[in-house]
Amino acid sequence: MDIASYKNDVWGQEVIRGVSWDLLWLVIVAAFIVIALHAIISATRKRGEKPSSGGERVSRHDAIDRAYHWVMAASVFVLLVTGIFPIIGLEFGWLEFHWIAGLVLTVAVVFHILRVFVAQDWREMNLSGDDLKAPFDESVKPGKYSAAQKGMHLAVTVLTLLVIASGLVMFAMIDTPLWERSNALSEATLGLVFFIHGISTLGLIGLICLHIYFALRPEKLFYTRSMIKGWISRDELAANHDPQRWTPDEAS
Amino acid sequence: MASFDVMPDTQLYQPAELDDALRLADQYGKDGWILGGGQDTYGWLKDRAKHPRAMIDLNGVATLKGIRESDDGIEIGAATTLREIIRDERINRDYGLLASAAGRVASPQIRNVGTLGGNLSQDARCWYYRRGLDCYRAGGNICYADGPEAMNREHAVFNASRCVAVSPSDTATALVALDATMVVASVDGERTVAAEDYFVGPKTHITQMTSLEPGEILTAVRIPATWAGKRFFFEKVADRDVWDFALVSIAVAMSMDGDTIADSRFVCGGVACTPHRLRKVESAVRGKSLSDESAEAAAPLASQGAKPLNYNHFKLPLMENLVRRAMRS
Repeated sequence: MDIASYKNDVWGQEVIRGVSWDLLWLVIVAAFIVIALHAIISATRKRGEKPSSGGERVSRHDAIDRAYHWVMAASVFVLLVTGIFPIIGLEFGWLEFHWIAGLVLTVAVVFHILRVFVAQDWREMNLSGDDLKAPFDESVKPGKYSAAQKGMHLAVTVLTLLVIASGLVMFAMIDTPLWERSNALSEATLGLVFFIHGISTLGLIGLICLHIYFALRPEKLFYTRSMIKGWISRDELAANHDPQRWTPDEAS
Repeated sequence: MASFDVMPDTQLYQPAELDDALRLADQYGKDGWILGGGQDTYGWLKDRAKHPRAMIDLNGVATLKGIRESDDGIEIGAATTLREIIRDERINRDYGLLASAAGRVASPQIRNVGTLGGNLSQDARCWYYRRGLDCYRAGGNICYADGPEAMNREHAVFNASRCVAVSPSDTATALVALDATMVVASVDGERTVAAEDYFVGPKTHITQMTSLEPGEILTAVRIPATWAGKRFFFEKVADRDVWDFALVSIAVAMSMDGDTIADSRFVCGGVACTPHRLRKVESAVRGKSLSDESAEAAAPLASQGAKPLNYNHFKLPLMENLVRRAMRS
């Protein structure tokens, strides 16, 4: 199976056309194998007592961050449907929806970056040595985010920035109400941009499958709830986090 | 691009029954090539720009040929030649618009073998696409015709979306104007689709010109009696009088109530990827008489919303003038 697809340009030279979309099925199958293995291993493990969601609550996500998360999720969902469905044969007028959702995602990501650097502590997402010990040592608990969450965030960050950067270049190559398209790029460069857009999309599809799976796992559902309602309970905090490394405010 | 004198190694099937043709079309799917008169086939194959594994020749299927009366109008088999359509007495009497349009297709030699189904379902005429370049329409990521130095005199001024190729069919405009219905068959059964919806644009189907899916065959065209015997106008403007595609064409059907236009269809060819209905013109002329005044009022509406490319601005006044000519009393 090829990673890229190739074509001959107008001069007869072989150039890259984009990613090979056969990889889509590989990514989906691989993601489901990982999910199945994790589910089997988790089922065989002895599960500790589930912390109570009642009692005192602490704040995990501000309303503005939750809104950002769901705006990003909605735009990524629209981008995937409009980008992937025509490739797998479900054709419809997708282009306008795709670039509008892409712009929404871009604005949301720019907003997030600004907020992280201006109003939040960007180091919260840095992977530390303690983070890497946590999965192997039950006595080590993470701060606000676990190593897996930080790793996922890092991977999503890299892939999202790649997909946005390549998407903006592709955006300049189509007619929109804002401008007429430019055919300024050589076919080889354009193919490379399509490849970056495609391969980062495939990476995101794999990560999104894992993200949704973990968001729905019973022992992680309180994180999903916190992304909706904003809070976790004191019990959940104590069971999953090191209060020395993360001291959240009381939930209002 | 290499061109060859000989055909590539391809299976040729010549079924005598429609069921056999449908089974073959289903069996080969995207790798099958439905063959009518072959006038849009052999160039592709000799240039090695398309690579079907099998050709399914419909010319031996008797049920796909001929012009028949139907409950409400006529039904024309998809493998009926253009010459038969041009010479058919009923079509000339009641649907002269189609006869006129078919009479302007290519050349007499081509009309002798070219079929209605083939003319309707032919692929886009774009220099770049036809040359075998890997453009959007060929599944690539670029349009060679829409660039600062591109040759796009023949290309679309309406409804382009990445690809700017136009529908090349002369009979398509007439059939859209006549509110025809396409009969499409596959091994799963038969479906009918309005002529206007049979042709699809790049916004939804960038690699297709019609709504025909792999495994489907256009079997017939039904023309209702709605427009039978009405006032018609067809004109095709091309660089050559024969054996050329339209720069702009217009097919017009008008239902007259005395001296006034009760209803009408104005359909332009050569300006979009599908036959392009001039709905604003149709609305503007309703209730008006055929006169220079009405023509002058309606003509500018024809080109409203057009987005010409570098070398095809001329299509806008051409469309307007064709509307004026159609409105002459």
